[in-house]
Amino acid sequence: MATVWRSQRAFARFFAGKTVRILNNASDLGAKLTPASISVSSTQNYSNYAKSPFVKRIKEQYEFDIVKNPPEWAYVERLMPFESIPNVTPKETYPSGWIPPKEEAKNLPYFIARTRNHQMPIYLDLSMKGTRKISLIRRIEGDIWLLNDLIKEHLQKTQKRYVETRVHELGRFIEVKGDFVTTLRDWAYAQGF
Amino acid sequence: MGSRQITEKSLVMLRSLPRLSLANIRDNPGSKKNTKRGRGQHGGDKHGAGNKGSGQRQNYMRLGYETGNNPFYLRMPHEPYYKGHHHRREYPPISLLEIQKLIDTDLIDITQPIDIASIVKSGLYNFFPDKKHFGINLTDEGVDSFAAKINIEVQWASEQVIAAIEKNGGVITTAYYDPHSLFLLKNPKKFFESGQAIPRRMIPPADVIEYYTSAETRGYLADPEKISQERFRLSQKYGYELPNIENDQCYTMLCERKDPRQIFHGLEPGWVVNLKDKCILKPKDDELLQFYAS
Repeated sequence: MATVWRSQRAFARFFAGKTVRILNNASDLGAKLTPASISVSSTQNYSNYAKSPFVKRIKEQYEFDIVKNPPEWAYVERLMPFESIPNVTPKETYPSGWIPPKEEAKNLPYFIARTRNHQMPIYLDLSMKGTRKISLIRRIEGDIWLLNDLIKEHLQKTQKRYVETRVHELGRFIEVKGDFVTTLRDWAYAQGF
Repeated sequence: MGSRQITEKSLVMLRSLPRLSLANIRDNPGSKKNTKRGRGQHGGDKHGAGNKGSGQRQNYMRLGYETGNNPFYLRMPHEPYYKGHHHRREYPPISLLEIQKLIDTDLIDITQPIDIASIVKSGLYNFFPDKKHFGINLTDEGVDSFAAKINIEVQWASEQVIAAIEKNGGVITTAYYDPHSLFLLKNPKKFFESGQAIPRRMIPPADVIEYYTSAETRGYLADPEKISQERFRLSQKYGYELPNIENDQCYTMLCERKDPRQIFHGLEPGWVVNLKDKCILKPKDDELLQFYAS
């Protein structure tokens, strides 16, 4: 048994799926024995178990106060998960550098939609043990070839060199060879997406 | 066909054929016969194991044995850097920048005290108590841009992070949760639906008692008087003016702390939450009250 406990996953096995079972730090034994219900007294010894009297007067449950609409219900509601991701209320400043999408960006012939968490869908794809870096612009809409040309032009200007891109029309994403996530995100924020 | 034609044709053939020499003579077919018949594949050979010795007998030496040399694995002294790594507690990190991003996108409500449950609720942080994850390590990325007044409770924090939060008039506490409590905090709804009584939070293990009782790390078991002294000391060290919490509008929110035995804010151990009927069952029994009292 000791070897089992010392094995690598012993810890995980101990906690696997324990959330709905009885916890070790709970006293939820279901039934309760009162001192009066204990049948075996020290004065008398029964010759065998069958001859001893039945255990009586067991309280089935602990007593609980049932409070309807308690004032603490606000704390319970605070713990409940979001039914849908909340919309962002406009604020004066956003110290994290996050910028809300602008209305005028919808008039452009191309569009980059935000993710469900209101983030810009521009990611870095690392492969070949981190040597192959590809910036991925997802959720593009409209005239994506024009968007591709503009991105290329912008990167040509900022990086002062030709930057290779690849457009996936069906998958609606543009791949840019190299790590230009910050540059592209700033550009997309500036466009108002 | 006449015989003359045959002769001529044979002569033509002879002319084109190579000369007979030692290089191209061979035995007549069927004149040689092998007297042995080998058994098995490749005529009953050694099965690739070689001839004689440990190779043929397949009694290989133990791993690392170098036939009497001082073996490679014993040649240099042992330095067990990672000894017991699979038993160590882990605190998956989240940075101040990410917390600020969650606040900016309204995924965290700063008008309420923030704990691990509200950070997991945002959906952009996850941890696994069964993989020895013991809560949040709040890291210092984005300390300079952090600008929120919060009452936050994490499991591990550095001095810079504490300074960044207190500079903005906020409060930080480091608190320990046992894995069972962390399961409840990760998914409170699932726990309430199971119909069990909220358990007590366990006290920290011996090796982190010091961390959670020291005021420098804002431990939840530290003396509040010492914490206020440490708050002032840290403001002197980092050179900022400590905002006065007492005169703050959200003084009550900033002062809200959990009991060391409490898992959820505002809900005491021993209570049963009924989500269906929207009621809370509070124990009346003396035995239970005694058990759940901290």
